[in-house]
Amino acid sequence: MTRILDPTLRAVLPRTAARAPRPSRLSGATLGLLANGKTHGMVFLERVAEHLRTRHSVGDLMRVTKANASAPARPEDSALLAKRCAAVVTAIGD
Amino acid sequence: MSDDAYPGLDVEDPWQAVEACFAQGWTDGLPVVPPTAPLVERMLAGGPWRADAVLLHEPVRDRAVTAWHAAINAVMAGCRPEYFPVVGAALAAIGDPEFTLHGPATSTGGAALMVIVNGPVREAIGLHGGGNLFGPGVRANATIGRALRLVLLNGLGCHPGVLDQSTQGWAGKYSLCFAEHEAASPWEPLHVARGFRATQSAVTVFAAESGHNVLVHAASEPETLLVGFADAMAGLASLSPGRSVIVLAPEHAQHLARAGWSRARTQEWLYEHARRPLADLKRAGKVEAQFLLGAEMRQWLYARAPGGVASAPSGPDAHARVLPGDEAIAVHRGLSPDDILICAGGGAAGGHSAFFPSWSRGRSVPFITKEVPV
Repeated sequence: MTRILDPTLRAVLPRTAARAPRPSRLSGATLGLLANGKTHGMVFLERVAEHLRTRHSVGDLMRVTKANASAPARPEDSALLAKRCAAVVTAIGD
Repeated sequence: MSDDAYPGLDVEDPWQAVEACFAQGWTDGLPVVPPTAPLVERMLAGGPWRADAVLLHEPVRDRAVTAWHAAINAVMAGCRPEYFPVVGAALAAIGDPEFTLHGPATSTGGAALMVIVNGPVREAIGLHGGGNLFGPGVRANATIGRALRLVLLNGLGCHPGVLDQSTQGWAGKYSLCFAEHEAASPWEPLHVARGFRATQSAVTVFAAESGHNVLVHAASEPETLLVGFADAMAGLASLSPGRSVIVLAPEHAQHLARAGWSRARTQEWLYEHARRPLADLKRAGKVEAQFLLGAEMRQWLYARAPGGVASAPSGPDAHARVLPGDEAIAVHRGLSPDDILICAGGGAAGGHSAFFPSWSRGRSVPFITKEVPV
């Protein structure tokens, strides 16, 4: 019997963060839109927001577009989204 | 040591081990060397890193690849332990925050990770920079690049169709590692031009689209020889503000050496001549509406316009409609001569050089050079 080693990070990955509690309703809630920085990310998210406004009466929108699609969101943007928004939708649109 | 220290699979025989790696989705489609603990320990001992040293951190998905996991993948790729310092240096280079690996690793553009190796390590481990340097036949070339790809697949989860959304990809994604043919270069070695000593060894990485053969047999004067290079670089298929890699065949390099052209002069000539009228770009659908809204792309398109960047038009179809004056606005490949990296490689016979465009229709990622630890 020979053991071959797992080349993935499965065994060492940090546990994923606990999920935030789901908002019970979106009516009147501030919704975050985080576009990943590709050319049409925000165009797509505006449509999503329109849909959510119609179906769930969401309130204010907070829009953030990453400066670089290949880099993480800036920590200050993530912090602000977490502070102000009941929910955040993120998307790529190319 | 107990098996708990080595998560993995128990198999009966070598062939079952090879098949198990396929079944687990741990390969690039080719058979791998089954990574047993003794082989991985030996690989790790080939480099200067502790097992838990992080060689690559990818911040978007927060994945840290340690020397241990890199060594497992290097074994699987078929590397010898003496290659491991080059593998580690290349991982450090693609993990440099400036390289923003997430893009070239996952984009529809399907980039390969090009690794150019300079310095004494080339001869020490048999890395090849001569004939057929991009093709098959040399273990170090084939397996070092493959180790990087296996780290992306197994470590970062860049599986085709899942995280790796390449529309087509290309064969360089299996492995694209070669030595500069320093003896054939008219100039100082690439890594010396990038700030290292000739006695050091270094890797330079680049996110590359598939290369173009630049075939020129009947030119010896630089201004004639380089026309074909500039023409390939100005091709509408890949024209962008991104960077370029030129791998000069020895025969072409000799023409430049004989004429006394420096690397800087060659870069400047190529930058100046690798250009198209803005009208050509518009007719080919290469100017997107969003380009006219972003500072960087406006700068690229209109830096040479008579009225400068401020003259860039706006309007719903300004990106597509050929406007008066667009024939006279030159759009160059890249933003400056420094965006053209030139090195030497290939066999003694043949007028075949290569041009590799950068991944992405935008600025793409920079060249990154890192020392290979002794």
